[in-house]
Amino acid sequence: MIKLSQRLLGPVTLLALALTFWLGLWVTPPDAVQGDLVRLLYVHPPIAWVALYVSFGTATIASCLYLWKRTRSANLDRIAYCAMEISVVFIVLTLITGSIWGRPTWGVWWAWDARLTSTAILGVFAVAYLALRRANDDPALRARRSAVFAILTAINVPIIHFSVVWWKTLHQGASVLTSTGQLNVHGSMLWTMLIGFVGFTLLFFWLLRERYRLEVKRDLRVATTMDEALAQRRREGV
Amino acid sequence: MADLGTSQALTPVEPPASTSRSSRRSLAVIAVLVIVVIVLLSQGLLKSLNYFETVDQALSQRASLGTKVIRLEGVVEPGTITRTDSGAAFTITGSGGHHVFVTAQGSPPQLFQANIPVVVVGHFVSATSLDFAGTQIMVKHSASYIAAHPNRVKAPNGTSR
Repeated sequence: MIKLSQRLLGPVTLLALALTFWLGLWVTPPDAVQGDLVRLLYVHPPIAWVALYVSFGTATIASCLYLWKRTRSANLDRIAYCAMEISVVFIVLTLITGSIWGRPTWGVWWAWDARLTSTAILGVFAVAYLALRRANDDPALRARRSAVFAILTAINVPIIHFSVVWWKTLHQGASVLTSTGQLNVHGSMLWTMLIGFVGFTLLFFWLLRERYRLEVKRDLRVATTMDEALAQRRREGV
Repeated sequence: MADLGTSQALTPVEPPASTSRSSRRSLAVIAVLVIVVIVLLSQGLLKSLNYFETVDQALSQRASLGTKVIRLEGVVEPGTITRTDSGAAFTITGSGGHHVFVTAQGSPPQLFQANIPVVVVGHFVSATSLDFAGTQIMVKHSASYIAAHPNRVKAPNGTSR
């Protein structure tokens, strides 16, 4: 069952994304106010969802589990690292798609409001996590320090989420996860956007799986290289 | 077999001080991070966490605002938009029913229209005037998305044009 789901992950991801793009570009109607600019609704919020909650969330949860002695394992450290790498990509895509949407709608590419600033800061945190990993050679020390860092910086995620509620921002408020439970997206636009959420979430898990496999191979190669180097040293000694 | 005399005895190699080197590098990363975050936050904080003042707030603080550059938010009143040589003139309304007349430089954004919330960067023309001179107009679109023509009849081939 697990193997079947693993084999199907790629094709199902491709299908969901293809459906999102087809519906978003050709089937759904233009918006009453934004016209065809609304089609970025099917891309920007799903990418932001993956950036903030799915990928950064995965890295944080894996970090917590790593720090807990009962569940500590190198696999969790790898998952956290791979998820954070993907998070960097999705945070950058969030800011780029947001800018592309902001220019014709707001009239500016960028605004230093609370939502955009805190999202940019999250991107800096994610890059700093990767830099911190490169700064530490010892695997156990690297894993521990980066796990603590991921958990501490995760405080920024709820700040980003509630920034449009706590402060007055140029960025709009929530369209789906509203405080009253009201949905502000209607008809085919809503379920196309939700298919987009599913598609990009599956894309994250597909990327995570592939990146994780690569990381396992890399670690194996490093360990093998180390063993060969030690064996060579011993041979030189006799 | 090689002679393992004292001159050729294998001596343990001192491991490098990786922990202290790692700590120094980690601190450097954290230091750079703190600087970058402070720079980013200063951009947001300097221009205030609250990105704009509403019409009602600005008018209640009128005396202290003077001709300071602010971002003023309000809804564009229907029937008040006039295109000028240098931009547009229009009236914006706050939720409390107060009005401010805006004369803005530059082309308004694509979505600029009546009944839409806008954020205008500029200042009141004098310490006592309620007229606002704007240098930039931004549209603050809502979080609601509704189809442009929800009741349009579809043709047999599925098109709705």
